[in-house]
Amino acid sequence: MSMEQELREKAKELLSSGKVKVVIGYGEGSIPIKSTPIFVKTPEQADCLVLNPTCTNNLTVYLPQAVKSGPVAVVAKPCEVKNIVELVKENQIKREDVTVIAVSTPGILNDAALAEFDLLDVKKISWKADGVAVTTSQGDTVIPRDAAFQKKCLSCTAAQPAIADIKIGDWAERAPLQDKFADVEEYEKLSAEEKRAFWAGQFSKCIRCYACRQACPGCYCNECFVDKNGQIWASKDTGAESNWFFHMTRMMHTAGRCTGCGECERACPMGIPLSLMGKKMSLLVKELFGTQPGESMEDAPVFGCYQTNDPDPCPE
Amino acid sequence: MEAKVIAKQDISAWLSSLAEKMEVLAPVEDGGVIRYRPLGEGEMNLNFSGPAKSLRDHFTPETETLFRYKYEGLKAELEESPAEEHDRLIFGVRACDAAALKYVDAVYSMVEPRDEPYFARRERTTIVGLFCNNPAWSCFCTEVGNFLTNPQEMDAGLTDIGDKYYAEAYTAKGEELLSAAQFEPAGAEDAAAVEKVKQKALSRLPAKGAHEEACLSYNWDSPIFPELAEKCLGCGVCAYSCPTCHCFDIQECAQGKKGSRFRCWDTCQFEKFTLMGHGHNPRPSKKERTRQRVFHKFKYSIERYKMLGCVGCGRCISACPVNIDIHAVVAELEKPAPASEGVNNE
Repeated sequence: MSMEQELREKAKELLSSGKVKVVIGYGEGSIPIKSTPIFVKTPEQADCLVLNPTCTNNLTVYLPQAVKSGPVAVVAKPCEVKNIVELVKENQIKREDVTVIAVSTPGILNDAALAEFDLLDVKKISWKADGVAVTTSQGDTVIPRDAAFQKKCLSCTAAQPAIADIKIGDWAERAPLQDKFADVEEYEKLSAEEKRAFWAGQFSKCIRCYACRQACPGCYCNECFVDKNGQIWASKDTGAESNWFFHMTRMMHTAGRCTGCGECERACPMGIPLSLMGKKMSLLVKELFGTQPGESMEDAPVFGCYQTNDPDPCPE
Repeated sequence: MEAKVIAKQDISAWLSSLAEKMEVLAPVEDGGVIRYRPLGEGEMNLNFSGPAKSLRDHFTPETETLFRYKYEGLKAELEESPAEEHDRLIFGVRACDAAALKYVDAVYSMVEPRDEPYFARRERTTIVGLFCNNPAWSCFCTEVGNFLTNPQEMDAGLTDIGDKYYAEAYTAKGEELLSAAQFEPAGAEDAAAVEKVKQKALSRLPAKGAHEEACLSYNWDSPIFPELAEKCLGCGVCAYSCPTCHCFDIQECAQGKKGSRFRCWDTCQFEKFTLMGHGHNPRPSKKERTRQRVFHKFKYSIERYKMLGCVGCGRCISACPVNIDIHAVVAELEKPAPASEGVNNE
């Protein structure tokens, strides 16, 4: 049975038994190169669920809202299960309200891999043993794994998730094709001045559409600091200083929550490499607090605890 | 005026000579995205299906200071922002983006006084278009005005016909531009080549739609909006990539006894856009907000300005992180509604 078929069967069971009210998964997008989040509410609709290399969205972003209407099942890839762990630990959702359908896929398509294709002519995108097959009127073209998949997938080890109620796919631990922090290492070679110039250039492109924040499961605040209108913490102008302040503050606020799912960067219409910041932050979190977001249910959330042996002593 | 041609290798020389007289902007590749930027700020890239950003920020900047002030006791001084005083030319504008200017003109001139900072920029700008020869998957300009065969708001328009561009002028300004030494009269084979390119481009686009009439039957209570609301992330990608979206917020930057007042982009997709001071929000959920965007483009704009508020550039479709496709939404709304469902106008 294919992963997709297995997912549909599990979703049907969950819905017909009444265990959950909704299954959040992926459905066909408006064109074969895209999938779209869908909210499946009846066993019959479960046949609309798809699982293919275009299933990129981090669906855990919907959980805090979705659980308000009853128990939910959600399709989550290994990096996204970590978001659920953090959401539970930070009391945004109750563990018992979420059925985690953990799916280990070969990898998710990186949109840039389709640059050479006529997207109107792409009929289907599917997994093949050595990469991703793109079906067009000319037949199948297989894009090898290292070109086809998103960076995060190339460094994924599909390690056992800290929580999972249903597991689909191949969960045998795999050797990563790429070092997760290779781009951070490159970045660290820059001098402080070069780093400043790099980010100044990147942030000058920001249009403050907040797609990064909205796509992020760690950004669950009811009211973001940048949206406060009475007490203005951050100006809405798009000048260099304001954009810098917005992104740096958002990154600080997602410390210990950023699991490197990369949705902020993918959602950004201006091509700002936001995951680089997230990865740098997660290295700092590991160094300072000895934890990695979402890897265990026991580690205290970085923002939700104070330890007497905190490496940064309280100012006198 | 007769059509002209210009060899591709002469484009740089032509633009450089223009740049001596005015600022010249073109689509340049800059940090991985294509934007209209001053020549020289990156590699010019004319082989694209649509820049990441429309022309919007060149006419209504993301942040625009309206005035500065300072005060001491009861004495205050105001300093207005100076009006735009330099001429510029924007090269390589897609037909949809140029057509969008006609709509934004209507918005900013609907009530007196018209928006002077906008029109100062508008009147000092020359637009040289570049027609698409390979529309993207998300494009649907044929449904909302056919701008490839019916260009709007361009002074001149170029079409890529291989090793040269075929050029036509639509205004006196455009004619003057095409009288530059780099242009030669077009031959019959050039005209035939353009026809071929246009036909190929059109074959990639959907057939003409009739949204102007169909919008009258849009169902206010369509079940599609609660569905969109579930998946919409509530970001502003659709609106901020849209060439006709024009809404702004007015904010103040106070620093002690001086400061400035500025306007910056805002969108109906943000929760606080319609949040009132006393706490009521007439568009409290994403259901109302996604509906607003579709209805504004395809219904209210026709009622208000007698034209569609969408030029079919497809940016909101390709940029949406969750694949909300306004083209598909409109198609759904235009399916004949069951007789029992009422139609409610805002």
